[in-house]
Amino acid sequence: MKITLTVNGERHRLDVEPRRTLADALREDLGLTGTHLGCEHGVCGACTVVVDGEPVRACLMFAVQADDAAVATVEGLAGGADGDGTLHPLQEAFSRCHGLQCGACTPGMLMTAAHLLDTEPDPDRATIRAEMSGNICRCTGYTGIVDAVADAAARRARGLRARETS
Amino acid sequence: MDHTPAAGTSVRRKEDARLLTGRGRFVSDLALPRMRHVAFVRSPVAHGRITGIDTAEALEVEGVSAVFTGEHPAIGPVALRAQSALPGYVETDQPPLARGKVRFAGEAVAAVVADDRYLAEDGAEAVVVDYEPLTPTVCAWAEPTDPVHDPVHEQAPDNLLLSRTFRAGDVDAALAGAHVVVDRELTTNRHGGNPIECRAGVARYEAADRKLTFLSGTQVPWIVRTQLAELLDLPEGNIRVIAPDVGGGFGVKAVLYPEDVALCLMAMAMPGTALKWVEDRVEHLLAATHARDHRYVLRAGFAADGELLAVQADVWCNAGAYSVYPWTAGIEPLMAGGLLTGPYKLADYRCTVRGVATNTSPSGPYRGVARPSTVFAMEALMDSGARALAMDPIALRRRNLILPADIPYRMPSRLVDDSGAYEACLDQAIATFDLERWRAEQTRRRVEGGRPLGIGVGLYNELTGLGRAASAGPRMAFRTGHDACTVRINPDGAVTVFSGVTSQGQGLETTMAQVVADALGVAYEAVEVRIGDTDQSLWGFGAFSSRQAVIGGGAAHLAGEHVRGKALALAAALREAPVEDLDLRGGQVYMAGQEKPIISLAEVAKVAYLQSDRLPEGFEPGLEGTKFYDPIRGAFAAGAQIAALEFDPATGEIGILDWVCVEDAGRIVHPVIVDGQIAGSIAQGIGGAMYEHLVYDDAGNLATGTLLDYLMPTAGEIPELRIGHVSTPAANPTGVRGVGEGGTLAPNAVVAGALADALGVEIDDLPVTPARVWELMHP
Ligand code: FES
Ligand code: FES
Repeated sequence: MKITLTVNGERHRLDVEPRRTLADALREDLGLTGTHLGCEHGVCGACTVVVDGEPVRACLMFAVQADDAAVATVEGLAGGADGDGTLHPLQEAFSRCHGLQCGACTPGMLMTAAHLLDTEPDPDRATIRAEMSGNICRCTGYTGIVDAVADAAARRARGLRARETS
Repeated sequence: MDHTPAAGTSVRRKEDARLLTGRGRFVSDLALPRMRHVAFVRSPVAHGRITGIDTAEALEVEGVSAVFTGEHPAIGPVALRAQSALPGYVETDQPPLARGKVRFAGEAVAAVVADDRYLAEDGAEAVVVDYEPLTPTVCAWAEPTDPVHDPVHEQAPDNLLLSRTFRAGDVDAALAGAHVVVDRELTTNRHGGNPIECRAGVARYEAADRKLTFLSGTQVPWIVRTQLAELLDLPEGNIRVIAPDVGGGFGVKAVLYPEDVALCLMAMAMPGTALKWVEDRVEHLLAATHARDHRYVLRAGFAADGELLAVQADVWCNAGAYSVYPWTAGIEPLMAGGLLTGPYKLADYRCTVRGVATNTSPSGPYRGVARPSTVFAMEALMDSGARALAMDPIALRRRNLILPADIPYRMPSRLVDDSGAYEACLDQAIATFDLERWRAEQTRRRVEGGRPLGIGVGLYNELTGLGRAASAGPRMAFRTGHDACTVRINPDGAVTVFSGVTSQGQGLETTMAQVVADALGVAYEAVEVRIGDTDQSLWGFGAFSSRQAVIGGGAAHLAGEHVRGKALALAAALREAPVEDLDLRGGQVYMAGQEKPIISLAEVAKVAYLQSDRLPEGFEPGLEGTKFYDPIRGAFAAGAQIAALEFDPATGEIGILDWVCVEDAGRIVHPVIVDGQIAGSIAQGIGGAMYEHLVYDDAGNLATGTLLDYLMPTAGEIPELRIGHVSTPAANPTGVRGVGEGGTLAPNAVVAGALADALGVEIDDLPVTPARVWELMHP
């Protein structure tokens, strides 16, 4: 089946079997291997991408279901407004706070966290833990991940306040 | 410019830039030209004779190019055989694909090669295998009255692959003289590593020059290369094993698996075609190694003042269907017997351990190997002893700890403990935790009502960085005490390090760069590290036994120092200065008493590589050096964890209110990485203590085959962890102690201990689940 999808702002036309998952279309057909697979049955969250503004598990969605959709993956997070490759504040925070070790869960964590910060500007640690609990990390014990999301949120809140008062 | 040491600071990890932007290089991500994909056909029965395999239909499936079975001429003659010189160890074979019979549900029986993974799975579904069932054995400690009907391996008619008795002193006399004697019978729950990236491999063989490249998510590329050379009958130098970015390991990937060997054999049968296999989670739960399925029957004697006088133990470890390569079925039982007594002094000890074959997935190394179970066992004895003596459980532990004055302490298993920091860890943990406050809260709840609260404690030693005298593994054909490191100054003065370590998330590129930067005298940013490629680095045994910071780090330090000496000698000759007055800092060579550098490392390197006309007499071109390091013994790392848990009588729900861990990791190279290792391992320990359980039914079917049944803790379950350090430098070049596993060792003991403390019961079986708590609260 022929589909069109926009990934990180770039339009792609693909011819896929109906059974092909969105994760495989991204990884195999578009070479965007940043989206990882940890279970392929919807539990671990490693494959989380944002489709039309909502986080979805790319292992549970067929590529054909994403026809005409806008997909955001980890590859599109960095880049800044002018595409200069600047890391996203969450990526910076993950590095600063050791929110990643092996990096297998990281793309899903980042996409989930990005959506969280978009929808909940000032989450406390309990909220972060609850909201991130659909993503499994086997390495970090979550301390660094919660620290990173909290840190990114706090910096953003500070930045917003600074802008308001200036 | 002055040089700030890189070690001891949390520099930005070298790995982060690519891993954060989706540009990691994982085996699962690899695509090679004309690559084909492999799917394995796995046995649905636990034990059965294979009476026929029909591949005709599979070969008709679109896109399928080949189907291999255990009898295929490319596969048939080969078998893995984990060897050990241990007396009484029964050696058995593990075929790459099952031959004649299957020994566990999930064992690979055939492999289908196709154009993509979807088509390979279509092909796998079309393979028809007939089985004639045999009686399965699932439990490793069935009554001796049950005769073994159909042994797993005919070489071991009683299914016993190995047994050994550790003995010290006179246990019977010591027990007879004890003031109190306590007995415990415990079991621990089977669970596994489950890294987020499952196993994966890509193999490609070039027939013209007989060269095999195997990209694999392995923790042990050099061990894999050596064994593949033997099995594939290729010169070792013709095999290149590459472990690029690996998405977690935890021991599960420290094994050479039959699927790995099958993939390489198939690649050799299909020269020029790259074959890729990426395991899915269901396969991982079925067929990657499991661990911790143990039973302990224990008796301990204490003196009236609490002194531990004797321990007698019988231990059964479920080894599963095969003795894993290279660790053998001895990996868990021997670790259990060797480390059972942990941080406690003891003279009279008798412990018989057994590795029993069953029709379940093979057991292998998993972070902490056996000690999460043995710490649970030992702390259970301590709690029983305290109850019998009406003594404070922490005071009883203190009474028996190995103290600094006892170091070096020879444990009853003859391992030599060089730590003695247990009491320091315990003291700091208690202070951070504020034990008095929690005891008061516990009493308050008992008087005024409220959810029962319990306090659990676990003390442990992590045997890390084992050298040749205490080498990891049960008398295998090789000693794992050393690693190599090459430090190369490039013509532009920047540094490339070729280290034998491998990384599955531990940040070893970063740690090695820090160590070399300091040993050599250059900035951290000037150092780039290559790991995990047998064609690039000379040698490394890999990631296991918390060994790499100690051993790989030691080699990196020595190599850095060595090349520093070479660079300074050349600088001295070029500038006609006495070498003993020279110092290399921040990539510049300084003369004592002078503020300005006399020459840069870049200039020295340029001469070494490009300007042989300027090379002084007696100097060869080039600027690099290789060193091995072997610590001979090992470095014990001490640890203490203490936590407060509450239990909801209405639901059985378990709430972790506070969790404190204090470890002696020796000198710390990267504080944040070290704490990350500790936090991650505690989380895995909590998973094993409360959630993760691989359950087989009596027929040998895995009942927990997906992540909906096999529960791994998330950010919602793992509490805020408070981590502290006492840092006593170890006697090795960098002063570090290993830190990869310690955190996993205590949570079993802590969680079970807290529940026992809250309800005044004894907890004999793990995991501690809400259902179990509810039962205990509603007897
Ligand atoms: S891979 Fe999609 S949720 Fe695990
Ligand atoms: S960093 Fe390895 S799984 Fe999260």
